[in-house]
Amino acid sequence: MSLGRFLVRRTLQGLLVVWGVITVVFFLRLLSPGDPVTFIAPLDASPELKERIAEDLGLNEPIYVQYVEYLGGLLQGDMGYSYQRGLSARSVIWARVPATVELAVAASVVAMVLSIPLGVVAATRRHGPADYGATLFSLVGISTPNFWLGIMLILVMSVQFDLFPTSQRQVGFLESWAHLVRVDFGDPSISFPLRVGSFADSLLTWLQHITLPAITLGTYFTALITRLTRSGMLDELGKEYVTAARAKGLPETLVRYRHALRNTLIPIITVLGLQLGTLIGGAVITEEVFAWPGLGSLLIDAINARDWPLIQASLIVIGVSFVVINIAVDAVYGYLNPQVGYE
Amino acid sequence: MVSDRTWRNLAVELRRSHLAKLGLVLVAFILFVAIFAPVLAPHDPEQTDPGEANLPPLGFSETKTETTSEMVDGEVQIVEEEVQIDATSEHPLGTDYVGRDVLSRVLFGARTSIIVGIVGTALAALFGVTVGLISGYYGGRLDDGLMRAADIMLAFPSLVLAIALVGLWGRQTKKYDDPFQTWGLTPDMPEHVVVPITVILVVALVNWVWFARVARGEALSVRNEEYIKAARATGKRDLELRFAHVKGIPIPYPGGIITEHVLPNSLTPILVLATIQVAAVILLESALSFLGFSGANLSWGLDISQGRDYLSSAWWISTVPGIAIVLAVVGINLVGDWLRDALDPGIDQGEGGV
Repeated sequence: MSLGRFLVRRTLQGLLVVWGVITVVFFLRLLSPGDPVTFIAPLDASPELKERIAEDLGLNEPIYVQYVEYLGGLLQGDMGYSYQRGLSARSVIWARVPATVELAVAASVVAMVLSIPLGVVAATRRHGPADYGATLFSLVGISTPNFWLGIMLILVMSVQFDLFPTSQRQVGFLESWAHLVRVDFGDPSISFPLRVGSFADSLLTWLQHITLPAITLGTYFTALITRLTRSGMLDELGKEYVTAARAKGLPETLVRYRHALRNTLIPIITVLGLQLGTLIGGAVITEEVFAWPGLGSLLIDAINARDWPLIQASLIVIGVSFVVINIAVDAVYGYLNPQVGYE
Repeated sequence: MVSDRTWRNLAVELRRSHLAKLGLVLVAFILFVAIFAPVLAPHDPEQTDPGEANLPPLGFSETKTETTSEMVDGEVQIVEEEVQIDATSEHPLGTDYVGRDVLSRVLFGARTSIIVGIVGTALAALFGVTVGLISGYYGGRLDDGLMRAADIMLAFPSLVLAIALVGLWGRQTKKYDDPFQTWGLTPDMPEHVVVPITVILVVALVNWVWFARVARGEALSVRNEEYIKAARATGKRDLELRFAHVKGIPIPYPGGIITEHVLPNSLTPILVLATIQVAAVILLESALSFLGFSGANLSWGLDISQGRDYLSSAWWISTVPGIAIVLAVVGINLVGDWLRDALDPGIDQGEGGV
């Protein structure tokens, strides 16, 4: 199957899943106790006011009408209105997306940069100290809850040694390119970017703030990929094509990196695709630990405030991005592994 | 149901692997602690004592400079005082910000983790395996429908779904009498075990899909085997209600081809998956209680979150329960590795850490 046909088919399947996600999220509200109106209306609201709010939210319509209207709204990009914040859910979410994407990308970069060399070294110097170290690290890394790891990093790096700030992203990656620094005059909720200082200052601020969260979120994946790289390399290095390549007189580095490592990477990508949920779930809790202003901390705030439109919108955004990234991972996998192709 | 060969493989692998031995020891230790927490704990984990707040663990006695302002002859004077804060053997791992014993809280916290881990996984397995076996055995439209439902479940990262569900359904808990208390063995300990019911249900709801996938795969692979055809040819039904007579009382249980021939074939991968899932569930539970979505009063995740505000003055409050989580999860993962290496089922393991 060609890439085009593969993408079309997977997109159609994905749309079905997305529709299911929206439906589940919509009906979640009906399953949960409590009347949405009481969370929005002031405590001393008159029955008339409550009635008007219910009317405004469309709660007086039959369920199926509400459902169809919700779907229709989504198709037009309308994700509802957050009463608590006085903003459309879409604008609230849109403002939070960059922070989460930065965190997830930074964590993946940390994981890739550390784990693959570590795994290769462990496999090529089997039973040496590096191997035992890598094995121990990956065992503990997989078993450590990331919120605790984050707190321990804050304890050691920020409280004891004062190397990194404990929380709050001050400036976005893109903003740092425009030499912007976020200024809040004492109230973070009304902060805005100002063009102060140089690009280097700005980028440094960004780096300082993202380092600990990225390590926190990245450690599980570093550990996992180290483990996979090690066992994959051991498998590959024992195969006949490696012996043949060596016999032919290829330099050992070429054998290892050009041949063995490349074949090791294929299954790693599959596992990473499966573990994408862990990355997104982990981002939610990492954001909570570091007061990182992303989608995850938004979702938790929204749940605590019972801000329904916002809960639904953030769940849908998370679910949909998950589906999209999965399709992308499958496409990359098909490209890297022609044996499987686009099936 | 477990063959001699299986036992032999397990024994061989155990003898070979030191990590497997370590895992078994850790798991046995955690189970022991969870069961006998009221006997082992030196104090009531809920007993507060403001006079003994923030005591350090043994070996970490410290001197602190306390500044107080006093009025002396009508003038304000700032007095700096060196205060020696001694660790006591009364509280070997120190006390928290209201003077509760950290060691006792960690011991009792093991109960919540183990109960949620085992019960949550068991419920997920029960539901997931049932759905998976039926889906794989019958195939066709039913299979398509059930697997699409599973895809939708998988479109939410398990932690996100769990947070949403617990956050919305509230923190329901149920109190059970502590057996040691009922027998009068531990008079100074809490009377009840508080079990976070919502968390258990949510964990099961979030994780059943992994069991369904594995069971389905196994059922698919055997549905056309000769022995299944033979069973069908004898007129045996796919599923039927049977009764076991225990002391003359009939106890119903499911029989038929699916439970008698398909299920036993898929037990090995399910067992391996279940072991690894217990570790994942313990991590999930700790994350939920860290976020304040659990309702359990004694939980490692809860204690970690409570210690966050005291990192500069009492680092042990958050540190100690985290070490307990790591030890428990490392132990279970090692046992999972042992079972996987010995039995080699070749499965997806589901989402891992938090």
